[in-house]
Parts: sequence; structure tokens; C-alpha cells
Amino acid sequence: MPNASSPTAAPAPTRSGRPTAARVARIAGLLALVAVVLLFPSLAPDPFILSVGVVILSYAVLATSWNLVGGFTGYISLGHAAYSGLGGYATALLILRTGLDPWLALIAGGLIVALIAIPVGIASLRVRGASFVIVSIALVLILQLTFQSWHDFTGGSGGLRVPRPFGTEVLRPEQHERFFYLHAVLLALALLTWWAIERSRLGAGLKAIREDEDKAQALGVPTFAYKLTALVTSAFFTALGGGLYALWFGYLDPIFQFSILVGTYMVLMSLLGGVRSLFGPLLGAVVVGYAVEVFKSQYGDTQLHLVATGVLLGLVVLFMPDGVIPALTSFVNRRRRAASIREVSAEELANQREEAAR
Amino acid sequence: MTGALFAQSLVLGVLLGGLYALLAAGLTLYFGVMRVVMIAHSAFLILAAYLAWYFHETSGLDPLLSLVITVPLFFVVGYGMQRFLVSRLRPISLTTMSVLLTFAIALTIEGLLGFVWTGTQRRVQLGYSGTSIEVAGVSIAVVKLIAFALAAISLGALFVILRKTSFGRALRATTQHPEAARLVGIDTDRVAGLGFGLGLATAAIGGTALALDYTIYPSLHWHWIGPLMAIIVVGGLGSIPGAAIAALLLGVAASLLQVPLGTTWAQTVFYLALFVTLMIRPQGFFGGRLAQRF
Repeated sequence: MPNASSPTAAPAPTRSGRPTAARVARIAGLLALVAVVLLFPSLAPDPFILSVGVVILSYAVLATSWNLVGGFTGYISLGHAAYSGLGGYATALLILRTGLDPWLALIAGGLIVALIAIPVGIASLRVRGASFVIVSIALVLILQLTFQSWHDFTGGSGGLRVPRPFGTEVLRPEQHERFFYLHAVLLALALLTWWAIERSRLGAGLKAIREDEDKAQALGVPTFAYKLTALVTSAFFTALGGGLYALWFGYLDPIFQFSILVGTYMVLMSLLGGVRSLFGPLLGAVVVGYAVEVFKSQYGDTQLHLVATGVLLGLVVLFMPDGVIPALTSFVNRRRRAASIREVSAEELANQREEAAR
Repeated sequence: MTGALFAQSLVLGVLLGGLYALLAAGLTLYFGVMRVVMIAHSAFLILAAYLAWYFHETSGLDPLLSLVITVPLFFVVGYGMQRFLVSRLRPISLTTMSVLLTFAIALTIEGLLGFVWTGTQRRVQLGYSGTSIEVAGVSIAVVKLIAFALAAISLGALFVILRKTSFGRALRATTQHPEAARLVGIDTDRVAGLGFGLGLATAAIGGTALALDYTIYPSLHWHWIGPLMAIIVVGGLGSIPGAAIAALLLGVAASLLQVPLGTTWAQTVFYLALFVTLMIRPQGFFGGRLAQRF
């Protein structure tokens, strides 16, 4: 996966000529991450572990895509499963109904979902906070309802079989390996997009919206257009993640595609890892994804996983709303315990300004 | 659609709308006093329904009697939830974080319900479950009538509390302008806690009414929270009369559409109304200045 790693790693040193210790450590960490991802399929002892790896990478794609809107703007979407589910269905239906090439169908599906996200964004982003969340949940519920009952088109609650993009001569473990790398590439693209937006004018505007939307608007940030851009970009990547997963998994069921729980996982992963950092959602996906898989294999698919997810989400919201990475950083830096969101990000902004001035 | 069928649907819609109105009033109460979108409202609704069912199963008494236990219990739980959980959140990100927190509570309740009473569908069987009375060619199930009466009485009581008592005045003041309310000596924290308790008490009453007439299962609350959230947005966030009017209108609309479209598609009317409201009048149709700022 060198094509994915090089653009992420390369521009970092060019930002300023002097490599500091922190930057060297950052690049070393990034290289280590890339190495782990590249080597994982050959290190995985059996196909099951490899498939868990695919699931975790898929979660990482979804969480990182979620963070494109959640992290930048602070607008929490609990219904991002709507976009991943639509991505899956769009991909599958394009292959089944039009006979489109699977990979073209995947990309076309992503674009279609991005188009769908536009009216949703227009309706939910004009007013602040509450209505966005309400619409996001309502969207998942309505999609679950319609996809379950619209038998002729979506296969209804009986589900939909997705044709496999690779022939039958490609065996299961080989399938897992290919999809593992495909997910890794998609994750790299999503991370790269996040990284590019973060240092753009758009990113600055979005973060200003997150900190204080009124002030951002007063300073001339086109808040509505920026928020909509973030949502549509996020929906696009989420749909690609959902579509790729559908191609791998080979089966779609409205109950699981438009599940409130999947949307919750995305939020939980991003919050746990930290919505303000590039790799936060990835870290959260590894931790939560692994925990979910272990929990399922230990206790089966009981109602207890709902309780565990709920309790964990509640604890994160109450005690670590900025995520584990910021919580640990602030612990290490021995900052005042009362440091609020505002102070941390003001510091970040000051640092960025300093770096830019250098 | 024949006249008789129309009348029948209309009556059923009004009866259902009454229940929606009570529950939406609770939901809008939380938003008014705390700017909190309480996702767990319908999870508590289902919890109350389960408690009513369990009460009936174990004691053999009428599930309506479980109100004596659940209403005070939910009131205390609501008060505690506001004072010990919601008030801990940072004011700056309260609206979004409270959604996540109450969402987490909803998941926990759903999981616990499924764990304790399994995912099996439950239904209260009563002597009068099947009886219905006929008025002018329209037959109405007695249980639906009881549910509606319960909702109407509770809504009336809520209205009296909010309009006639000094606590109600304090609560409305807190809703309208928390700072000014504090300046005139209202303990807004305590009022917000009590407001939360009142809101959750509506869930207890609604849940008991629900248990009389519906088959219940743990994940049922998702079918309620969507329409309820749509109702409070259409009615204008924070406005109780708005919520009640929107609940009745949408309840009737859903009930009328059920005849030509079927139950599932009729449900979409709530989401359609939500979408249209946000597109053309985001602050809601019946009052609700609050939505513009939040």
C-alpha cells in the first residue's frame, strides 16, 4: 500500500525545514502504523482473525468519515449508518439492476449518496444543534422502515444478496486479504482528505464554526456552505465504506444496514479516540471494534452488548468528552483538570499560527 | 374511502394523537427547561409498559394500578437524572452531549429489558381487552379509550400545574429566560430537575397506556422516538401547546393514510412533516422562539 502511505508521510517534513523530535516521532509512528497494516494479513494466524481485521478497518473507515463532519463542525450525527447503508444498497442495486462493474458501482453509489446528503443537509443544517441530531436519527429510522417494506426494489426485510466482485476461484482467505488492503486504501484516502481539509481555509472555517458559530459567521465564514460541504464529503466516504463492506460481506439486511447501533459505534469510536485528532477515530475503531468482536464471540449476540455499548458511551460522554488521546495528553502535560474544549483548541490555533508564521 | 371508514380512522387518529400529545409534551418539557433532546424518553416509555405488564403478570391486578408505583418512581429518576447526570455536562456543548448521554441511557434500557425479559413480544391480556363500544357506526376499543382518557387527564393536569401553580410559573420563567429567572430568585437548577421529573412522569403514564393496547418488545422505543421528535420540531421546540396540536394533526394524518398506504408507509408522514418543517419553517409552526437559537 505504498501509494497510500507516501502522500500522508511525505508532506509532513516539508512544512518546516527543521525536523523536531516530535515530528520525527510522528513520522516514525506513521511508518510503524503503515507497516502494521501492510504486514497484518501475513501475520494473522487464521482467516477468522483476518476477517476481524477487515471488520475493524471497515469501522475505522466509517469512524474517520464520520469525523469529517463530527470532528470539524461539532455537529454530532447519530444516524451516519444511513449513509453507509445507502452506500451498500446503492452499490448492490447498481450491480444487480444495471450490470455495472462492481468498482464503478461502488464509486457511483458513493456519488449518489453524496447527492442524497445535500437536501438532508439543507434541511438539518440551517438551524443549530438539536435539529441536526433529530434529522440524523430520523433518517436512519425512515430508511430502515422503507427498505424493509419496499420488497420489489430492495428485497425488503428478506435481505439482498450482493454479487462478489472476485470470481469463485478466489478463495475465502484470499478474499479477506484483498478486501483488507482495499479497506486500507480507502482508510488512507479518508485520512488524507481529513488531513488536507484540516490545513485548508475550509478546515479553519469549520473549526471556527465548531468553537463559536456566531462569531465565525460574523467574521464572514460562509457557515452554511461549509457545513454542507463537510456533511456531503463525509456522506461520500461513509457510503464508500458501506459499499466496500457490502461487496466483502455479500449480503445486506435493512435491520443491520440501517441500524442505530452502527451509527452509535461511529460516534463512540470517534469520541473515544478524540474527534480533534487525525488518528483518533482510527484508534477508537481499533479499541471499540476489537472489543465488540471479542464481546460477540464471548457472550454471543445477546442484549448485553447494547448495555455495554450504552454504558461505555455514557462514561465517555460524562468523563472524557474530548476523547482518550486528549485526556491522556492533558494528563501527561499535567494541565489543569478544568481545561475546557475552548482553551485546548485556542492553544492549538495559537500553535498553528506560530508554525505558519515561522 | 367510505364515510364509515373515514370516521373510524379519524377517531383512531385522535385517540392515538392524544397519547402522542402527552409524550411529546414531556419531550418538549425537557427541551424547554434544559435544551436537552431526551432520546431516552421513549425507552422509559417502554420500560413503564414493561413494568405495567410485569405488575399485571405477577400480581394479577389491573396494569393501570402500576401507575401508583411507576409515576412517583419515574419522577424521582427524572429528577436524579437531571441533577446527577445532565447537569454534569459542559454548558457549551450541552445540546449535543446530552443527546449522546440520553441516547446511551436509551441503549442501556433497551439492552436491560432484553436481558431481563428477553426479546419475546409481550402483551397484557385483560378481561376488557377485546371489548369495544360503538358510537354512531364507529367502534372504539375500550383500551384505546382508557389510554386516551389517561393522556387527556394527564395533559390537563400538566397544563394546570404549568399555568396555575407558582412552581409552574417558575418553570415557565426558566424556559423563557434562565438568567432572568435566577435574578428574580428562582432556583433554576431545582426547577430544571423537577421539570425533568415531570417529563419522565409523562413517560410512565404513557407507558401504562401503551401496555393496555400494544404488543411490546425492547426495541419498540425506536418506533416512538422518531415520530415524537418530529412532532416537537413541527410544533416548535419548547412549545407544549404546539407539541399537542402537532401530535393530534400528525396522529390523525398517519391514521387516515394508513387505510390506503398501510401501517409502514403511513409512519413516514411524521418524517415527511419533519423534513418539510425544517425546509420552510425551521422554528416550527406553533410558537417556539427557542428553535431559532438552538
